[in-house]
Amino acid sequence: MMVCFLVTILIISSIGAALALLLVLCEKYVVNYGPCKITINDERELDTIGGKSLLAGLTEQKIFIPSACGGRGTCGVCKCKVLDGGGPLLPTETPFLSKDEQENNMRLSCQVKIREDIKIEIPEELFNVREYDCVCSEIEDLTYDMKRFRFDLKEPSTIKFFAGQYVQLRCPKYKGNNEEVYRAYSIASDPKESGYIDLIIRMVPNGICTTWCFQLLKEGDPVKLNGPYGDFRLSETEAPMIFIAGGSGMAPFVSILSAMRNAGSKRQAKYYYGGNTTKDQCMADEMKAFEKALEGFEFIPVVANPEEGANWAGETGLVTEAVQRNFKDLSGHEGYLCGSPGMIDASIKVFKELGMPEDNVYYDKFS
Amino acid sequence: MKQSPRDKKLEEVLRSTRLVAGGFMGADPRHPIDVIEQDIIALEDLGVTTLQLANRMRELTDLARPRLGAWTTDPSGKYRVKSEDFKGTLVCPWPHPGFYEKRITTVEHLQTHQQISWTDLNIHMIEEHGFFEGKGAFFRVEPKEVVSILFEDLTQK
Repeated sequence: MMVCFLVTILIISSIGAALALLLVLCEKYVVNYGPCKITINDERELDTIGGKSLLAGLTEQKIFIPSACGGRGTCGVCKCKVLDGGGPLLPTETPFLSKDEQENNMRLSCQVKIREDIKIEIPEELFNVREYDCVCSEIEDLTYDMKRFRFDLKEPSTIKFFAGQYVQLRCPKYKGNNEEVYRAYSIASDPKESGYIDLIIRMVPNGICTTWCFQLLKEGDPVKLNGPYGDFRLSETEAPMIFIAGGSGMAPFVSILSAMRNAGSKRQAKYYYGGNTTKDQCMADEMKAFEKALEGFEFIPVVANPEEGANWAGETGLVTEAVQRNFKDLSGHEGYLCGSPGMIDASIKVFKELGMPEDNVYYDKFS
Repeated sequence: MKQSPRDKKLEEVLRSTRLVAGGFMGADPRHPIDVIEQDIIALEDLGVTTLQLANRMRELTDLARPRLGAWTTDPSGKYRVKSEDFKGTLVCPWPHPGFYEKRITTVEHLQTHQQISWTDLNIHMIEEHGFFEGKGAFFRVEPKEVVSILFEDLTQK
């Protein structure tokens, strides 16, 4: 009886598996979706051949939607609005989309398959995103776990970006990493230097991309990246500013300070840069040079736990504590933050306590 | 052992380098189900459940988080703890929504100077899936080691 039952289950399961396999094979080798159109923002039409993902279809046409996992549906970054022709929302997408996003037709472009004409909406600035072939021309140690990488652009040979934007660096396959991935890093170079970009990268324990950057990438190696992305940038007001960053959160501020210097800005800005020990501090000379060039700028390094014998004479404790000590009222200030979610949340709380309106806070959260 | 398609898929994901460098299994040749079973037995032999362990780990992570990566001492005075945030997210390899900030908590026993580290994803995987990662995986939590540090009263009995 029991054997009969098990055999029945086995037969049913085998039929199910065979049918599923047949469907996959048909989808791959037999079904021909033919030519399809991707209409973007009701103004641009792209011709493609159906059967591929929307992300792949757009990338093929040199339109880059940010994606950290290379289209495997594991990062949830490649969101875009699909107005028509995207098919039903898939279970692989729902974990990445909030209820609001689902109601507003947001989809993961790597999961949407082009089977018919499709209408989408993407931010206009993505039309300016390009893929760049570069050469790593310089690697500089900034701290024990942070390096600055310079990438000379080869094809295209120039980039236009605004201070605060980021690029996606392609991490190739290597021993221990069987798949290509992309990781986002803020640009740390002067926007007027269009022939190269600098990135400041902190080693992430067991990080796929940082392991490659720190252990395998050498000067002279070819590198691919795409960008620029993002809308973290200085406002156009003259309000005094507080910058807060830690670790590689330094990157966008180097670019922002360079842009301020280029523009001859006299805007007041105090930059609190936090680290746990003095060994986490970096770029003191460059910050001094910015202080000289920008009359309204002051760099305030903060060390949480200075080591014995380090002779640290600067601010101590957490960056947020230093801000609390130095200000009683921030209601007229703007706040700019770049760093870990924990640091950003703590800083926003302090800004609020000191009266800074929420709309005056701009941040670039590590993700 | 015959694997169901679901177990087979899980093993494939855990061994792949898609979500973390080196994968979740390290060089462990055992099937993930065996790893889970054997680790849970080892933990139970030490008198601790996965829930108790996960709660203790979370308690220490939560204690250290407001210090933004700086060391702090726990109320018992036995441990110093730090919780550092890194760029990126960790994704649970099981088929359900599960994204965790890349936060690494390190605990040091102040008398023995034994140290152990874990991520927020480790806490989730231990609590929900009984998974401590395979031997050789970068963030493998060794049941005996973690219990000897965080539940020393039990191991001294």
